[in-house]
Amino acid sequence: MSRHFFGFARDKGRAGIRNKVLILPVDRYCNQIAEQIGLFVEDVIVFPCLGDMGRHSLDRTRLYQATVGIACNPNVHSVVIIGVRDDFNYPEMRLNKIVDTIRAAGKPCEVLTIDECGGMGQTVLQGQKAARAFVRQATLQQRVEIPLGDISVGIKCGISDGTSGISGNPALGAAMDILVEENGTVIISETTEIIGAEHLLAERATDEETKRRLLEMVEKTENQAKSVGEDIRSINPIPSNIKAGISTLEEKSLGAIAKAGTSALRGVLDHAEAPKGRGLYFMDCWMAGNALLPALAGAGAQITVFQSGGGDMPHDPPVPAINSATVAPVFFMTGNPALSSKLDIGVDYDSSKMLEGGITLADIGEEIIEALINTANGQLTWGETLRYKERIDVWFDGPVF
Amino acid sequence: MSSHIFALGLGAQDDVAIIVKPGQIGDTCPVSGSDIAQAVTLLDAIPMAHKVALRAISAGEPIHKFGQPIGIATSAIRQGEHVHVHNMTGLRKGLRGEQA
Repeated sequence: MSRHFFGFARDKGRAGIRNKVLILPVDRYCNQIAEQIGLFVEDVIVFPCLGDMGRHSLDRTRLYQATVGIACNPNVHSVVIIGVRDDFNYPEMRLNKIVDTIRAAGKPCEVLTIDECGGMGQTVLQGQKAARAFVRQATLQQRVEIPLGDISVGIKCGISDGTSGISGNPALGAAMDILVEENGTVIISETTEIIGAEHLLAERATDEETKRRLLEMVEKTENQAKSVGEDIRSINPIPSNIKAGISTLEEKSLGAIAKAGTSALRGVLDHAEAPKGRGLYFMDCWMAGNALLPALAGAGAQITVFQSGGGDMPHDPPVPAINSATVAPVFFMTGNPALSSKLDIGVDYDSSKMLEGGITLADIGEEIIEALINTANGQLTWGETLRYKERIDVWFDGPVF
Repeated sequence: MSSHIFALGLGAQDDVAIIVKPGQIGDTCPVSGSDIAQAVTLLDAIPMAHKVALRAISAGEPIHKFGQPIGIATSAIRQGEHVHVHNMTGLRKGLRGEQA
């Protein structure tokens, strides 16, 4: 039985579950302009730019990939791009290169430069005009029936505790297995968080190159820790994980990879790189939610899932998970009854009943898929009902100059 | 015996199980999903989602959860004891090749 959702069909690529007009500054000088457009125009998303100045080529490439990735996400209807002028930035972040890539992905673009508009104030005015016109076009578009296989879900776990590996991540994994069977896409990441369980994921690789690159990513991360005198075991598990019952790196990682289900690993991706095919992929990235969730959206995920243990979480809201600054909604779930009772508003799916027994993993997976389809059909996640925007980060290696 | 707590084994042969609700010393705790023990008597107070030993484990022995080794005992552990950073360490070695 193939399943469907109602989404926004695109001229190129997969369908969106939201229909957002994106305001995209491509230099830090343009952020204030973008924010002012965002203040005045209804229903737009501003993705601020962290800036390329003084960064080396690898980090500039990551910034470029994150920037164009967000703009090319299926949830984006159209883009107002704001630059200083074409030759203002390093080659990786050159305005025309960014515009060409976004246009090639089929996104309608309006490109404004501070130089051509004649200053910041004029750019704000012209940007508002362009954004309002795009919003009118976007709101005319109707949702149509789309195969569930068009969905790509980016998955993250956090605030891990003993429930993460039992009632949280395996529940999500069961749902992700269903999505892959439906020809959908799943992206797992957080290289640090698979150390100690990487051999199990590597065994699932469909080809030798994927296996080799996965193990290489893990080795690189371990060597980076060593290069700054850090014992990887003192980075993970983090203190709140230990307080919540996770004793070792291996225990945390084994629990973490359970969220990817049991599918074959089709490939590995660089930061915010879109998969070439469908199925399960691994993306190289660090663990911070405010960088990883945008990176997953940059890799084309229409939904990001944050699976939280939360045993040591002091209060609500679950700050790392509420991030409406990305174009992909964050679906927040937990397998911890203590967390779900603390957060009567905020949990999009609660799998903690698994701890009581009486429900199979397969049934939990079905329930999660139904909840994700509701999100895809347009129901706002709890996170989306807030205007809160956490500051976006990008995975930079440094050093800076 | 307290009936409101039980422990969940994640692999039938695992050395440890997860405490689903907080347990006190002396509580008898039924274990589901394990071939190793059907019940254990808690020798420590164990918070929710922490691990309990399902059998006696000698110092230096590997400890299994999810059917996989997750670490090594750093001291002898009795059945029913809390298993955590005070009596186990990871498999990965440290910067100078040290285990603990």
